[in-house]
Amino acid sequence: MLQHYTPSTRDVTKLDPNKDYGTAASTSTTLVTLEIDGVEVTVPDGTSVMRAAALADINIPKLCASDNLEAFGSCRLCTVQIEGRRGFPASCTTPVNAGMKVITQNEKIAKLRRNVMELYISDHPLDCLTCPANGNCELQDMAGAVGLREVRYGFDGHNHLEAEKDTSNPYFTFDPSKCIVCSRCVRACEEVQGTFALTIDGRGFDSKVAAGQDEGFLDSDCVSCGACVQACPTSTLMENSVIDMGQPEHSVVTTCAYCGVGCSFKAEMKGDQVVRMVPFKGGDANQGHSCVKGRFAFGYATHKDRIKEPMIRDSIDEPWRTVSWEEALAFSAERLKAIQEKYGRESIGGITSSRCTNEETYLVQKLIRAAFGNNNTDTCARVCHSPTGYGLKTTLGESAGTQTFDSIRHTDVMLVIGANPTDAHPVFGSMMRRRLREGAQLIVADPRKIDLLKTPHLKDALHLPLRPGTNVALVNSMAHVIIEEGLEDTNFINERCEDEAYQKWRAFISKSVNSPESMESVTGVSANDVRHAARVYAESNNGAIFYGLGVTEHSQGSTMVMGIANLALATGNIGREGVGVNPLRGQNNVQGSCDMGSFPHELPGYQHVSDDVARSNFESVWGVKLDNEPGLRIPNMFDSAIAGSFKGMYVQGEDIAQSDPNTHHVEAALKSLECLIVQDIFLNETAKFAHVLLPGSTFLEKNGTFTNAERRINRVRKVMPPLAGKEDWEVTVALSNALGYPMDYQHPSEIMDEIAQLTPTFTGVSYQFLEEQGSIQWPCNEENPLGTPIMHEVDFPIGKGNFAVTEYVATEERASRRFPLLLTTGRILSQYNVGAQTRRTDNQVWHDEDVLELHPHDAEERGVKDGDWLGISSRAGQTVLRAVISERMQAGVVYTTFHHPGSGANVITTDNSDWATNCPEYKVTAVQVEKVSQPSQWQRDFVQFDKKQQSFLREDRKVDV
Amino acid sequence: MSHSQLDQLVSMANQIANNNAHQGDETVVVNFVASHLKRFWARSMKQQIIDYSQTADNNLNHIAAKAVAELAKEYA
Ligand code: SF4
Ligand code: SF4
Ligand code: SF4
Ligand code: FES
Repeated sequence: MLQHYTPSTRDVTKLDPNKDYGTAASTSTTLVTLEIDGVEVTVPDGTSVMRAAALADINIPKLCASDNLEAFGSCRLCTVQIEGRRGFPASCTTPVNAGMKVITQNEKIAKLRRNVMELYISDHPLDCLTCPANGNCELQDMAGAVGLREVRYGFDGHNHLEAEKDTSNPYFTFDPSKCIVCSRCVRACEEVQGTFALTIDGRGFDSKVAAGQDEGFLDSDCVSCGACVQACPTSTLMENSVIDMGQPEHSVVTTCAYCGVGCSFKAEMKGDQVVRMVPFKGGDANQGHSCVKGRFAFGYATHKDRIKEPMIRDSIDEPWRTVSWEEALAFSAERLKAIQEKYGRESIGGITSSRCTNEETYLVQKLIRAAFGNNNTDTCARVCHSPTGYGLKTTLGESAGTQTFDSIRHTDVMLVIGANPTDAHPVFGSMMRRRLREGAQLIVADPRKIDLLKTPHLKDALHLPLRPGTNVALVNSMAHVIIEEGLEDTNFINERCEDEAYQKWRAFISKSVNSPESMESVTGVSANDVRHAARVYAESNNGAIFYGLGVTEHSQGSTMVMGIANLALATGNIGREGVGVNPLRGQNNVQGSCDMGSFPHELPGYQHVSDDVARSNFESVWGVKLDNEPGLRIPNMFDSAIAGSFKGMYVQGEDIAQSDPNTHHVEAALKSLECLIVQDIFLNETAKFAHVLLPGSTFLEKNGTFTNAERRINRVRKVMPPLAGKEDWEVTVALSNALGYPMDYQHPSEIMDEIAQLTPTFTGVSYQFLEEQGSIQWPCNEENPLGTPIMHEVDFPIGKGNFAVTEYVATEERASRRFPLLLTTGRILSQYNVGAQTRRTDNQVWHDEDVLELHPHDAEERGVKDGDWLGISSRAGQTVLRAVISERMQAGVVYTTFHHPGSGANVITTDNSDWATNCPEYKVTAVQVEKVSQPSQWQRDFVQFDKKQQSFLREDRKVDV
Repeated sequence: MSHSQLDQLVSMANQIANNNAHQGDETVVVNFVASHLKRFWARSMKQQIIDYSQTADNNLNHIAAKAVAELAKEYA
């Protein structure tokens, strides 16, 4: 419990990220010199005496202070004397002054501190030897530091030793008998996490920590981020894994493999077992904070369902046969070659993983382009952020977000569109909440009332509850207001933007069809609110836009991304701290998988396959001729499979059968393949259609890098050996060799060197440099040797910013008499994507089934009560889910998640897609909802099929044991 | 709705055309759509849509048909 959260990134990198300096760094640039115990110390104005001392390695005892929290001054252990001042001020709450002379240690101070400790200890159980915090307890350390030798008050007075434990949370235990009421947990929950779930109840001796209205952790507002557990100086709040296993003995810094925030963690280990994951204060993305997934949900790595050996079979109606790696790879290579022989070079392809490392992704697309000899490579970013790639490249010249997360500290207005950060990007959600508490204004454009709108101490917020599918209409009407009311940033436009494109856009956007008044009937959002929102965003000093899949997963996903970029360009909100266009990425390495050339039309670094110069660079390093025509995208692969021209696929670490829309169609496509090779850690839904199953490795079992949503390249470090003997990149290498295209890498660092050699935005990246820097934000090259935190400061990669004409075109997916409701999909905090990992952890307690949320009005109309089974049908299919009636919804819109395969949420989604990228339109499906008494046909078939496939796996394992 | 591959390609081409009708005059729009197909569609998809565009009574909309005709000049 000794690592803490310090707000300033830049400062921390120079400090020891494993030390707690007691109070936060000051951002002042004025320096002040003082003397502490005769040592001269120079620190920024506003620094506390405690921190100044700690910087000089004079470590004043403390209990209630921690450098990720506001100083509180309650324990009085940190008292010092200051020359010329009376009494014994608390060093944590006393700021430094020039010329101050501080004494941190003398007889009187020592006595005072011992008295304080004596009081604490008199109400503390002395079972240190069997306490889970033993060896890592600040109370123990402080008793030692102040030299406590006796406790005069005895232990038989009134005390809290009998207080009952709260074990409701699956990951940590609250043992109030050990609590010293320092309130670090309460402050961590407020200041770091922003949830305000904890309070100190009662006064004086009776005061105690309570979750919610004293309802226990699980039933309170607690989101199980663990910040309080990390903050607690005693064993009052303690990870269950530490209670079970004891204190860790070594630790390795690595990166969370769940979401696009890319939090750094210390994996605290005992041998090759993870005891706990502690967010790393030196991590530039998360700065010492985390969410429930990254901190606690790592148990899937050692789950019994892990695939441990390679397996093959001739048809999907046969049981699996366990074979050696050699046999599985030879079988795969033979089949792929036979298919190409028979159906042609373009009849096979592959899918890279947005969960695997950059190096692994790079290798898979290399395998496809060089060994398969075609460009049929794609990645799951197709179904989430491909429109970001297209839209931002067209307007700003680079397929990536423009900011660092930290830049939000300078944001005055946040415009959040189609994103739900507190669930999907929780650590960034906490940063947003902190800035909102400080007074930033919030505008949310979303069909649902997302939780960010319920931020405690939120100052000023506006919700634009638009109809699903009308994003472009909304963003155009905001832009219309900006131009009509003269709120644009003329200087920025003149200096930084392409004039012809701007004039064309200006003429287009000024048309009255784009006014909020005309669009009101389309979006359902009042014209007044739209005008107000446009003014607030345009008139702010720093306006920043954050968006998620609610923007991209539409038939006009790419148009909307361009509409967002237009807004930022028109208002000059690009190219400095606090502004920008920020796509919030879903999976941990979505940014990386796009950067690494996963798309069929682009080589690594977004270099088009038809670019002769780029292609010839790759050809000379890879030693093969490359195709100059784009390959098939995932949906095109499926269509071609059904049409009979696409027959073989290598899928690394993705579950397309569950995550892709229109399940019937996907299943038909997968069934028509002659060779499906799936490399995964579990028998996922896709693997049930496979002929070869290659065991994958988790992020704990490999070396590599992930790139987060701020373009930050973070190291992933191996803490345990891969279960089946190979890291994922090694499997690709072996497959390539089996296919006769030699690959020879001894370590992922060599793959990164090749990436750097071929990708202009990565030239400066190497493992050595990452080791020195901690992390690097690309572009990192000659012009930006240390990487690029903020993009487009001086110019755009395409020279000038490019306004794009973004006409609103209604989706073909409309509510009708037959399907009167609109279904939109999303995700929740505790489960991750298709849930293969989180469903195999205790995160299940928060969300063990997908439900259908609907507005009370729609429920009443259909006689639906909470918990009823509902049949949901669209023109694509039907499924059954339980009803949850919710005011978060607007009437006419229903909502579900797709974390559980048996829910079949994607049985109902259609194969409509974004016009530019084929990113599926997950966010709009016209449906009807009615009460039913049994699961849908698909669900019943699913159960059967699942049972059969599971038995195919088990049959084989039986033979094996 | 039919899922035949060709139907899908036709509706994709039409959708690209519909979403870009405001890029400029007809030539500009046609060139935009043609260039989009060129940059993002696989060889086999291009070939199929070109073959299809040459059938009578096809379902390509006006702009998409012209764009495919442009494409055909390069790929036929
Ligand atoms: S786990 Fe997080 S949300 Fe829950 S009480 Fe602790 S700090 Fe608050
Ligand atoms: S639970 Fe821990 S952090 Fe919270 S008040 Fe008690 S001792 Fe302090
Ligand atoms: S899931 Fe995302 S926010 Fe949570 S710890 Fe992992 S990277 Fe951080
Ligand atoms: S650490 Fe300063 S008063 Fe507790």
